[in-house]
Amino acid sequence: MPIRSMFLRILWKLLGASRGRLAVALIALTSGAAVCSALLNVNLDAERKLTQEFRTLGANVVIAPPSGGGEAALADAAVLDHIGALHLARIVATAPYLYVAANSGTQPVILAGTWFDQVSKMNSWWKVEGGAVTSREDRVHCLVGVTAARQLGLSPGSSVQLRSGEHNLSLTVAGIVTTGGAEDNQILTNLESVQSFAGLSSRVSLVQLSVSGTPPEIVEVTRKLAETLPELDVRPVRQIAAAEGTILGKIRGMIFWTIALILVLSMLGVLASMAALAMERRRDVGLMKALGGTVPRIMRLFLAEAGALGAVGGLAGFLLGVVLARQIGERIFGVVISARFEVLPITILLTVGVALLGSFPLRLLGRVRPAEILRGE
Amino acid sequence: MAPVVQVEQLEKRFGDVRALDRVSFEVEPGEWIAIMGPSGSGKTTLINILGGLDHPTGGRVVVDGLEIGNLGERELTRYRADKIGFVFQQFHLVPYLTALENVMLAQYFHSITDEKEAAEALKRVGLGDRLDHVPAALSGGEQQRVAIARALINQPKLILADEPTGNLDEANEGVVLKLLRELHEAGHTILVVTHSQAIGNLADRRVELEHGRLARIVSPSLAKD
Repeated sequence: MPIRSMFLRILWKLLGASRGRLAVALIALTSGAAVCSALLNVNLDAERKLTQEFRTLGANVVIAPPSGGGEAALADAAVLDHIGALHLARIVATAPYLYVAANSGTQPVILAGTWFDQVSKMNSWWKVEGGAVTSREDRVHCLVGVTAARQLGLSPGSSVQLRSGEHNLSLTVAGIVTTGGAEDNQILTNLESVQSFAGLSSRVSLVQLSVSGTPPEIVEVTRKLAETLPELDVRPVRQIAAAEGTILGKIRGMIFWTIALILVLSMLGVLASMAALAMERRRDVGLMKALGGTVPRIMRLFLAEAGALGAVGGLAGFLLGVVLARQIGERIFGVVISARFEVLPITILLTVGVALLGSFPLRLLGRVRPAEILRGE
Repeated sequence: MAPVVQVEQLEKRFGDVRALDRVSFEVEPGEWIAIMGPSGSGKTTLINILGGLDHPTGGRVVVDGLEIGNLGERELTRYRADKIGFVFQQFHLVPYLTALENVMLAQYFHSITDEKEAAEALKRVGLGDRLDHVPAALSGGEQQRVAIARALINQPKLILADEPTGNLDEANEGVVLKLLRELHEAGHTILVVTHSQAIGNLADRRVELEHGRLARIVSPSLAKD
């Protein structure tokens, strides 16, 4: 029988001989590997998932006429066709706005015309009391900003009569919206209604865009838009892009340090088990040395045992980590995070490394003096 | 014929304690030597040095032409694998390996394993039906017989046995002594540390130690005459 077979035979018996202690080490390794695998799976998907999430937090690119004031400060609504013609997949939502001054009774108020279907896509965090307006074609309803509603004494279901010069507009309040922004002072309704009301057919004040991707990808979309619309200002909302970049960086850093911490904790678990195991194995090692076993040959057995433990722990941890990543994906991002198989070798390599480092006490067995052990010291 | 063991002015100190003090003797090939003496007389220290488990402090020890006092750890390990077969009072079998695997372990560290040869060695000591038993499932006598099979498996130049019957009942002591006698008759060189006068009388010569010194060398057959 070749030596390798005897090696595997002893290895198999070693694994079976100290099941209790090895099980503790295996649990430590599997737990560590599961968290690593889950976080690595999440990390690989995090950028995509997070940038998707960011896109529900408002516009990050604004297109507007160059500042100059008056009629000249309005853009032709044809800009929307130009944007659509670019077929940029990263543009998640496009919301034009036309702002006009109006009066409700004697109270002045800003009336904003927009596309509600797009607004709701990019501002899912807006808090609406009453009913939301989600159809672009809805010419009957409006959303009233919370501050404006208080000033005008409006509530969901009430009617509001707006006047601008000779033009009148009658709307029903669907809901009161709280955004924390300028919209809190405005009444928002259908774009075409506002264009007719103000006599500004086919004009918009600005267009807000929600663009998905990393900060460099957003800059690239901005560049393409600026090329297509040279007469307009195309500006990324830098604070948002920078904040997104910072958040992504922080999440990546957190994942990295969490993995490092978890691996250290796993290693300490393995270390404790292996230290106890080393005490149990002193007699066996003394005997093996007395029988002519060299230190490297004996240590190879123990390191192979630790390596096998690491590989099994890594594989089991990977599978558990996939389940954990799914849970994280569903509960935190509301999406399914699929298993990334490139994480498998990384998890196994990390776990085997941790198992080998954690088995350091077994290496001290190399110093065992057989004469002392065989005397029973 | 050249002696297989030459011990010249051998000294071993543990701090201030002189465990062996200028001990000299020789062992011819095929001889059965009993090393005897009261507890603390240096018997086990002597056998540990002969087995390459310990280093002498002074003097010379030559086994099969190899001066072992000059060997480093690596060479001593090779020396133990190639030339020595150990039998211990406590048996010292690996508890999670079967009888067969315990014998194969010595083959593994020596060169290559041969399951058939290991099984044959166990059959020779009367354990052909115990190959797959772990030590815990064997009696003391059976465990010692596994240890003897393990000691013989690599055809060592020297069999070193430290109180091989010390942990056995009378029946098993008889079985082990019979095996040692057979090994002796087959031409093996055996050094046995023992307190037992009976074993001492079976040996070709008795090397008697007192306080680390060689007290006398006795040939039991001549003493009887």
